Amino acid sequence: MADDLREQIRAFILENYLFTSDPDALGLDDSLLGRGIVDSTGMLEIIFFIEEQLGVKVKDEEMIPDNLDSVNKITNFVLSKRQAA
Amino acid sequence: MSTLLLEALRNSAARNPGAPAIVWRNTKWSYADLVSAAARVSNVLAARGVQSGARIALLMRNSPQYVACYYGVLGAGCAVVALNSHERANVLARQLEHSGAELLIADRDHVEFEPLRRLAAEQGVAVMPISLGDDEHSQSLFAQEFGASELSWAPAAPQDLAMIIYTSGTTGRPKGVMISHGNLAANTAAIIEYLGLHCGDRGLCVLPFHFSYGNSMLHTHLAAGATLFIEDNFAFPQVVLRRMQDEAVTGFSGVPSTFALLLGRCRLQDYDLSSLRYITQAGGAMPRPLIQRLRTELPSARLFVMYGQTEATARLTYLDPADLDRKLGSVGKPVAGVEIQVCDASGRELPPGEIGEIRARGPNIMLGYWRDPQATQQVLRDGWLYTGDLGHKDNEGFLYIDGRAVEMIKVGAFRVSPQEVEEVIAALPDVEEVAVTAIPDELLGQAIKAVIVPRAGKKLNVLQIKAHCREHLAAYKVPKVVEFASSLPRTSSGKIQRFKLA
Repeated sequence: MADDLREQIRAFILENYLFTSDPDALGLDDSLLGRGIVDSTGMLEIIFFIEEQLGVKVKDEEMIPDNLDSVNKITNFVLSKRQAA
Repeated sequence: MSTLLLEALRNSAARNPGAPAIVWRNTKWSYADLVSAAARVSNVLAARGVQSGARIALLMRNSPQYVACYYGVLGAGCAVVALNSHERANVLARQLEHSGAELLIADRDHVEFEPLRRLAAEQGVAVMPISLGDDEHSQSLFAQEFGASELSWAPAAPQDLAMIIYTSGTTGRPKGVMISHGNLAANTAAIIEYLGLHCGDRGLCVLPFHFSYGNSMLHTHLAAGATLFIEDNFAFPQVVLRRMQDEAVTGFSGVPSTFALLLGRCRLQDYDLSSLRYITQAGGAMPRPLIQRLRTELPSARLFVMYGQTEATARLTYLDPADLDRKLGSVGKPVAGVEIQVCDASGRELPPGEIGEIRARGPNIMLGYWRDPQATQQVLRDGWLYTGDLGHKDNEGFLYIDGRAVEMIKVGAFRVSPQEVEEVIAALPDVEEVAVTAIPDELLGQAIKAVIVPRAGKKLNVLQIKAHCREHLAAYKVPKVVEFASSLPRTSSGKIQRFKLA
């Protein structure tokens, strides 16, 4: 379950920002901003993806690097939100 | 005559040496710190035998170290080539070569550092890697890398080249805007005057310093003796808003997409932004509903709508906040010292209400394009800068922008030449021909669309095209939409009709 979610998130970022399907192009802990993979509008698109495709509402105060700046951080954030729901 | 930047910085440091000049992450550099760090850079350049007039390229994110290097380069009598830190190494290498830079000072942790270092070595350009410390040790680290701080700055003349900013051109022909010391001084003074900037101001900057808007925000704050907070992470607007609140920020500048992001996901009323004295907006037209919302949510801040371009150092006009309601949609009147006209194709000034090309003259107009007299002659004629923007004035002399006379896509505030993107895509072997155009985008104003005709019998896919673009271009230049077609729309004379592609 967690692995499927992780790969779904990775696939979204690979396809939309790195334009590849090769999972080796993006490490699970790679910083999306630090590596220059997404910019401010890209992060907004990721938030839309989380809300619309993954069904998790992202509150204002949750939009912080600790929740969103890598595949693993997004996965953990989505899982914790689903558990809390 | 306006005070040149080096003198303005020294004046600010003399008036209040301990005042914070630049605050970035966990490091704070005072005016005295900044002057001594800049002096270190000047001394290193002198020790390396760099002659006055040499170009020194900088590749680093917004940071106090960038600022110290910038002023240090000027202090050595050299010119800054401010490289775009979003750009890829192959594009930067061409700019490096075109500028004839002797030395590249670069952040060793920048994602493009290693590939650019290799390319620079092939060109014989020396590279000085530095570390951007962002904690309390940042200054001692900088001192270790650069050495002594005795101040011996070479005097600059207003007409001397201070800076080259590369704007979008074709990949084979980089376009470097030459900005003089006098240009920077004049535009800095004009902006300080209308914003009323003073040493008590605390600006927050999310704009890159290597673009003209960020560059002007930097120099105006330093010349005013104010404090500039660098926030390099606009991906999380809430973090920025919290910092604005916690640091009692008095000024904030953005492009339309900055404000779309701020207003799109954040509730400004949740933050105490009562210290915010002014907001500036430039970098393209902001939709009127967004302007209205910004004013409703931040009623105490004065909103300055502005217009300019890199070729004019940064700023050409601003709309006085007092006129915002009655002149909504206008970019206002010229800044001090600048004259603006709307003219027809023969260069005749047009009466109010008629649309023509906007031209400008004043002490902020660039020296020309570096090593490109032909391109310079196209835009600098009879003492005027022909902006390539279409506009009109109303009966009271307020300027309105009506579009671009020159084909250029504006993604966010970034100018993108369609030809540059076309060249990159055309380099793929299975592409027969390609045309690139702008499409409307809710957040960014415009986005890029590419229409591609594959070679007979060949198949291409969207990801492959985008990946190829990303490999060779900055992320914002990658087409958002890629379509395939069997032919491109053309006029009877064979010219591609870009407007039919959108």
